[in-house]
Amino acid sequence: MTTENAINNASIDRFQVAVDALRTPCPPPPAAGDDVSSRTAFGQQRAVDAIRFGMQMEHDGYNIFVLGPLGSHRHGLAEEQAAEHAADRDTPDDWCYVNNFKDPERPAALRFPCGRGAEFRDDMHGLIGELRLAIPAAFEGDDYRNQLKATEQETQKEVEELWRSLEEQAAQHGIGVLQTPTGYVLAPVTEGRVIDDKEFDKLPEEKREQIKAAIQSLSEALKARIDEMPKLRKRLRERVRALDQEVVSHAVSLLLNEVREKYRDLPQVGAYLDDVERNIADNAQDFRQPETQASPFARRDSTRLFAQYEVNLLVTNQPDQSAPVVYETNPSYPNLIGKIEHRAEMGALVTDFRMVRAGALLRANGGYLILDARRVLERPFVWEALKQTLFARRLNIESPGETYGLVSTTTLKPEPIPLDVKIVLIGERWLYYLLCHYDAEFNSLFKVAADLDDDVERSDDNIRSYASLIAHRIHERALSEFSAGAIQRVVEERARRAEDSERLSMHMRSLDDLLMQADHCARQRDSAEVTAADVAEALRQNDHRLSRIKHRTVDAIKRDTLLIDTAGACVGQVNGLAVSELGEYSYGHPVRITATTRVGTGEVVDIEREVELGGAIHSKGMMILSAALSSRYAPEVPLSLQGSVVFEQSYGGIEGDSASVAELCVLLSSLSGVPIRQRFAVTGSINQLGRVQVVGGINEKVEGFFDVCRERGLDGSHGVVIPHGNVKHLMLREDVVAAVRDGQFAVYAAADIDEAVTILTGIEAGERDGEGKFPEGSVNRRVEDRLIAYAQSRKDFSDHEADHEPEE
Amino acid sequence: MSRRNSQRRVLIAVTETSPVTELWQAAVEQVNNLQATEVLAVFVSDDRWRRAASLPFTREVSRASGVSVDFTRRRAEQVDDETVSRKRRQIRRLAAEANLSAAFEILSEFDTLRIEELVGAGESLLVAPSLLRLRPIYSELTRLECRIVFVETVD
Repeated sequence: MTTENAINNASIDRFQVAVDALRTPCPPPPAAGDDVSSRTAFGQQRAVDAIRFGMQMEHDGYNIFVLGPLGSHRHGLAEEQAAEHAADRDTPDDWCYVNNFKDPERPAALRFPCGRGAEFRDDMHGLIGELRLAIPAAFEGDDYRNQLKATEQETQKEVEELWRSLEEQAAQHGIGVLQTPTGYVLAPVTEGRVIDDKEFDKLPEEKREQIKAAIQSLSEALKARIDEMPKLRKRLRERVRALDQEVVSHAVSLLLNEVREKYRDLPQVGAYLDDVERNIADNAQDFRQPETQASPFARRDSTRLFAQYEVNLLVTNQPDQSAPVVYETNPSYPNLIGKIEHRAEMGALVTDFRMVRAGALLRANGGYLILDARRVLERPFVWEALKQTLFARRLNIESPGETYGLVSTTTLKPEPIPLDVKIVLIGERWLYYLLCHYDAEFNSLFKVAADLDDDVERSDDNIRSYASLIAHRIHERALSEFSAGAIQRVVEERARRAEDSERLSMHMRSLDDLLMQADHCARQRDSAEVTAADVAEALRQNDHRLSRIKHRTVDAIKRDTLLIDTAGACVGQVNGLAVSELGEYSYGHPVRITATTRVGTGEVVDIEREVELGGAIHSKGMMILSAALSSRYAPEVPLSLQGSVVFEQSYGGIEGDSASVAELCVLLSSLSGVPIRQRFAVTGSINQLGRVQVVGGINEKVEGFFDVCRERGLDGSHGVVIPHGNVKHLMLREDVVAAVRDGQFAVYAAADIDEAVTILTGIEAGERDGEGKFPEGSVNRRVEDRLIAYAQSRKDFSDHEADHEPEE
Repeated sequence: MSRRNSQRRVLIAVTETSPVTELWQAAVEQVNNLQATEVLAVFVSDDRWRRAASLPFTREVSRASGVSVDFTRRRAEQVDDETVSRKRRQIRRLAAEANLSAAFEILSEFDTLRIEELVGAGESLLVAPSLLRLRPIYSELTRLECRIVFVETVD
């Protein structure tokens, strides 16, 4: 199967990538500047400009969506920008809820200049304390008692007069008016004694009839007086109430006037204080109740009576503060919109205006509210509520059950509060585009997209700024000092992270991780300074922690469990390169790709696709290489090929087209019979015209094959073929670069399929001459000859079949 | 009780319509003033309505509704029993709350012998509702020169 060919290495030297291109070192960065604004905006000028624009626009809908991946410093950037703009804005007003005496289920909102809401709350609290003393004192005073007694005596006199007149009237007829516990009885009386039945029977008939008639007549008069009693009692109550109001009003107005004077500039507050005074006067009699009630079922107690005049301060700001910048990490409905709390009382849930709580929207009113888009969308009811609030520009604090009509119990409906808040949503790009596509209202509310760049150009200026950024983050996290070499090493690593030697990654979380881990390495060796060696050690340790599966793969190849040849040559077999991603760790490794060919109907079977292990992009790559094959060779004859390509020992899904160069090479090997040298691995995608295109994960792929070859022993023959376009992306590990420098390993760049074939086979692929013929002995000539032969065979077979078809 | 017993005592005259609580409060005040050792609640039974109830045409007009119903002997006894029980319970409860001992007895206002026994003791004082002035017993109490503290009540 595997045969060693004579190989002319010199024929492929021209494709070898220079050592210097394998890893572009970072020049020593100049001293970092102290310009904070340029540091925060560095590399993200477009996004920062967008955020600034959104924050400056005061029209509706100019809320901001910051698009960027996790760890891209999107929160920090948003918060920094918001804080910067907040400093220029006025401090927003305070908001309170107070009792609405006309409709307690609809608490009234009061607005105060910043800081005065808290003052008002304290003033009212103090006032209540005073009222608790002043009102009972007023009722306990001699003046009040004397007036009350006089009022009651007046009524008592009226009552007595009523009965006295009845008794006089009755006495004229010898009738007495007797009281029973439940009513009145009229009975004949003689000499002060009530006549009993025996005495009555002894009376003359005429007298008896007179008595009966008198009682009958007096009964009507008695009834009339009984009817009069409720009216008298009502009149007494009214007089007492008027007296109570007079007493309370006097006590309250003196105290209220002090508060009223203090808030004279706020008419709304003055109106509320008028309501308070009126309410206390109207309910003056409630304040006469004893302080404590023996029964737990007591309907009202004085604490609750006075509590209705408390102030629920929802949000307050100090005059020396800037506008608020709120980052709500858990944007649940209550945390965002606010909530109405309840307390259990005798088995029922009750609430009042004091239990209305502010959410992040209100706390950020007049400023900026930063939210995670995904969390907003995940929490039930939050997205709809947020949109409704932004459209209405008014905040309705109510429970979601109330909003969606899910509960029918009585609850509060606080007065809506005007809202002027700039929302900054932070999310990943796919989320932004999904919202744009599926939510018609989204673009009306979030008109500003701040798209964070993943990386920046690796120019001298940017390296200087990047070094400044690194220094800033080192300072922020109180890390040890980094040497210039360490910063150089970090910058290089950022280029590798960007998968591009000409760019630097702006993924800030991974940068922070590297800085902190390098700092840890330096501390472990009791060094006050972090060196380049510490950075390298941090990277090594990180790789060590995460590379268990990678090492298992290399070990399986070393032990021939996974069959990968790294020596010899073989027809129809090539080493492709794959990248496996395990969470945030990815590594490259070789995969064996084989191909078989025979006469057929022009079809290349992708076995991965047939068994549904290949993804759409992989299938597309296979179809492109089929097209490339048919367009390059024997265009004048039908493609009469039956080929099949497979990733050997691959049991998981395969996605991407980065193996299409390897797949075409292995097909050409199978067709031409030219063996492919197994000491090479190849990666790259191909287009229909045979051009080799760039692929991702190039560094991991090269290093993956390098690791396998090193395990088996590097002898200077091993190498990797990569797309020419990927050379600029190379930021290989230093050990790989050292091996190349020592002639132990090589990296080749191919611009088209012919170059790849030449490198892999050691035989020139061959170009068509003036007559359109490939050179004799070249790989392409052999392929074309084989395809023509296949076409002839197929034709011969078809003719033979036709000759032997039975005639009708 | 007899004249020989010269303990300081506060009597409370309870009638069918008088509010017990107000009378009790006034009595407790007098207990403190006199440093009395005993409280006796006397329910002054009004036999006038028993006599009235014996007449076949007597009717009671409700204080609450003005509706009149037959006032029979049976009704009079029932009202009397219920009233006495209620007043006794009230006195017992108020005494327990004030940590005082209080006896309770029913007195016919025409039982002059018993009246003299009760109020004749020189140290006794009677707390009574103001409407007691209208009752026959008041003339007997006046005759016996009983010290009376009247409580203005709205019956």
